[in-house]
Amino acid sequence: MRGRAIVVVCLLGGAAAWPRSARALDAEVTSDTASQFYDVRSPTGTPILMRSRLTTTLGVSAYDLLDRPQEAGQEKKPDLFFRARLRYDADYGAAAEEATPGNLARVVPGFSRGPVDLMYAYVEGRRFFHGLLGFKLGRQYVTDAMGWWSFDGGQLRVTTPAFFALEAYAGLEVRGGMPLSGPLGRWEADGVWRGDRSGFDPSAYPSFLQNDVAPAVGCAIETAGVSWLHGRLSYRRVYNTNDSIVSQFSNGDLSPVTYSGTRISQERLGYSLNANAPGFGGLAGGLVYDFYANTMTSVFATADVYLGKKVTASLDYDYYQPTYDADSIWNFFAQYPMNDVGGRVLVDVTKKWSLSAGGHVRVFQNQPVTDTIPDPVAAVSFNGGGSLGARFRRKDTMLSLDASGNFGDGGDRVGGDVFGERVLDARYVLNARVGLWQWEDKLRPDRSTASFGYVLGAGYRFLHGSQAGLEWENEINALVGLRVRLVAYLSLAVTK
Amino acid sequence: MSAARSSRGREFGLERRMSRSATAWLLLVMAMLLAAAVAGADPASASASASASGSATATATASAAVTAPAYRSGLTPLPGDQKVPTRLLPPGSFDDDPGPSDVIFPSQDLTLRFNHKLHVQGLHQGCTSCHAGAATSNSASDEIVPKGVACDRCHRSDHSDLHAVKAGPDESGRCAYCHVGYKDGDGNRVADFVIPRPNMVFSHQKHAVRNIGCPQCHGAVQELELATRDQMPRMRGCFRCHQMPDALSRGDAKAACDTCHVRAPASQGGVIRSVFASGKLLPPRWLHNAEHGPDFVERHKTVAGADSQFCANCHKEDFCTDCHDGRVRPRQVHPNDYLSMHPVEARMEMQRCQSCHREQSFCVTCHLRAGVGESSPAAVKSAARFHPPQAIWSSPVRGPGHHAFEAQRNLSACVSCHVERDCVACHGGAGIGAGFDIHPAGFVSGCGMQLRRNPRPCLVCHQPGDAALSQCR
Repeated sequence: MRGRAIVVVCLLGGAAAWPRSARALDAEVTSDTASQFYDVRSPTGTPILMRSRLTTTLGVSAYDLLDRPQEAGQEKKPDLFFRARLRYDADYGAAAEEATPGNLARVVPGFSRGPVDLMYAYVEGRRFFHGLLGFKLGRQYVTDAMGWWSFDGGQLRVTTPAFFALEAYAGLEVRGGMPLSGPLGRWEADGVWRGDRSGFDPSAYPSFLQNDVAPAVGCAIETAGVSWLHGRLSYRRVYNTNDSIVSQFSNGDLSPVTYSGTRISQERLGYSLNANAPGFGGLAGGLVYDFYANTMTSVFATADVYLGKKVTASLDYDYYQPTYDADSIWNFFAQYPMNDVGGRVLVDVTKKWSLSAGGHVRVFQNQPVTDTIPDPVAAVSFNGGGSLGARFRRKDTMLSLDASGNFGDGGDRVGGDVFGERVLDARYVLNARVGLWQWEDKLRPDRSTASFGYVLGAGYRFLHGSQAGLEWENEINALVGLRVRLVAYLSLAVTK
Repeated sequence: MSAARSSRGREFGLERRMSRSATAWLLLVMAMLLAAAVAGADPASASASASASGSATATATASAAVTAPAYRSGLTPLPGDQKVPTRLLPPGSFDDDPGPSDVIFPSQDLTLRFNHKLHVQGLHQGCTSCHAGAATSNSASDEIVPKGVACDRCHRSDHSDLHAVKAGPDESGRCAYCHVGYKDGDGNRVADFVIPRPNMVFSHQKHAVRNIGCPQCHGAVQELELATRDQMPRMRGCFRCHQMPDALSRGDAKAACDTCHVRAPASQGGVIRSVFASGKLLPPRWLHNAEHGPDFVERHKTVAGADSQFCANCHKEDFCTDCHDGRVRPRQVHPNDYLSMHPVEARMEMQRCQSCHREQSFCVTCHLRAGVGESSPAAVKSAARFHPPQAIWSSPVRGPGHHAFEAQRNLSACVSCHVERDCVACHGGAGIGAGFDIHPAGFVSGCGMQLRRNPRPCLVCHQPGDAALSQCR
């Protein structure tokens, strides 16, 4: 892993150094570092995990690689730029045994004490062929109704004169345990425990599957140009490849132990729409269909109505039924969607003050069971809740209140945070947060309690985009007692 | 709702009401502290960044209230400071219009009396008679407001040397005739006249050569006396023309943000500059439904999902990944002590965990390390039971509180802690597990396609020759 990191740092450094000979090139090097010290305790109060974490990123960007100056009044010139960000995320509080495959009494498959991952690294071109063509090459994100996703590959985008654009991409899904992806997957479909099984006996942790390359293709059609309407229809297919352990209990009788072959991982269609009539309100919504699970996994819609110039009222609907990677057994489990209906009001009291308040009802479903009389289980149960937010924002001052309450069969949670930040002389940053929360665990009533916590922070801005600071967090509740968390952070930005 | 559950609810009801009441009081106190803090904040407002025009020697400040009483016209847009009707405001204005953006057009200090209606309709002057630059300017920072010398020809004053301005011989040439607050004895000193540069990209020339008249952006100034900030363009009005894809516009009005908004230097990511001395630039509510209110963090999905490039105009990837792939808990999303309360929250799934966390990676790994997972390493596995007693939670006879119902309502909560082996032990088919069927009713009718496209999950619970599996072939 260290070797990979060195190679990547060299590549990034080279990329940053190479374009300096170009006359008009702009470059930026950024770094965000956070050190966190805290412990994770179980509800019984026993210290379990001592966490001494260091997370640092290195970002390198280079712009205007083509060095074509824009002439006033002329068609915009093609543009080419490069962006990359590398991350090191270590937990020095972890024991070495937790990442040692040979130590089955302690090892946690997939856990690494100091992983390095390449968050993104791509070259993007815009406005080629008189503005018709754009492309992106490298590790990149895709965001649409289907959520966040990342892949290594290429994307091509054609913007037509007819107010729509076509997009197609192909590559390999970014997966945990693969080179420069970190040990834990983030972007692959959920429902499968995957990573690098190197060093593990095949019989150990059979649920932990070896990750392998995952070819992916996708396409989209999207509106372009108009400001009051935007829609995007997108499709994506990802494949799983090579071997996968199947048998969960290696007693010698069961076969096959592994399944090998290229198979579907996910195939989804997403659509989202955002429309607005400035004098009246707006509509936004979307849906996601999972072809493998053969079900609609998400439908969401929001209708905004403008009640005067200061008040916006919204009606929200959300349908959600999780589906998983096609390698996952959980697609086959009986489950029911959650349906949410909610309303919310946003009031811009002044140009600096705004308030929001909302409420919702969630409908949970399950199979009705009536043969347990006198305690029949209802097919439908309701959760409900609401939220209240307030914010005051001025050039050097920010104050906010975030409060919410949610109540249901599984538990209740109610409370709020008040946050304030003040910047003095454009350099000295002071902030504080106070929170009070109370929750009731209805499945385990003995784990219900209230918590009070506060955070005090101070920072110093020493350059544009650069800041250092320290935060002290203190929380107390009856389950785990007093907890302390210390966060030190440093953000650096150097530009040319 | 089962009788047992209702009974339990009654049993804990009083205590719960009491604790909620205490919480509500504390929240009220916190809200009052918040209000008090705001009330005590420094009332100084943001100052404008730069002045495009101003008198070099002025030191006095004045307002319409101290104007010489002899002159009443040209002090406000309409006589008697009447409200300007929407039809006279720039296109895109609302009834009860709040005015143009304070960030784009910072507040002005108009210390000159001027009657546009008189000059245009009475004296038959065109806009460019005074605002000559309006036909040729290529930059929003150009001064379009005429210098004093532009007035000299008619008013017979002499502004050629601002350090020694000479008044005209008659009433209309007096300093106080135009300069609000000027008093005899003030000499060469007049009040500052401040129109800060707008924080935008704009070429008057481009619009003029396309025969776009002044009223199409500034409204009916010729009907007004004093032209104020209210006559500056509204973004909604710009969109009447600016509706073309950027690179394909071929001279037509482009809709891209950077057509009008200032980009930060390329070395800072080239995103739209959103922080100015006059405030922070935020999208209006009618633009992509993206008003950044206090609850926008909970609602941004519909905006970003429909058009991530819209967000990318102002935010680089890092802004998004700090939460969606972050390593430092964002407190606005997960409040203080979230670690202790997250089991209840995850069960209710009010914040969809999968938005930012992959459950079989992020959640499972931490749960295994902490010893609360079924498959935790032996050396750390907690003896304490996370779930309710086995007789309720996993009894072969399902009753209220059985895990089957929790799984059916919110399977993600299970997936965040258990690995497939935990489930297969009981739910695996004959010869593998105890055989408790987890498939929904009617599952067999659609399982053939799933078996063909990916047999792997089927084979976890069923052996290849399993009779149950053959129903899907």
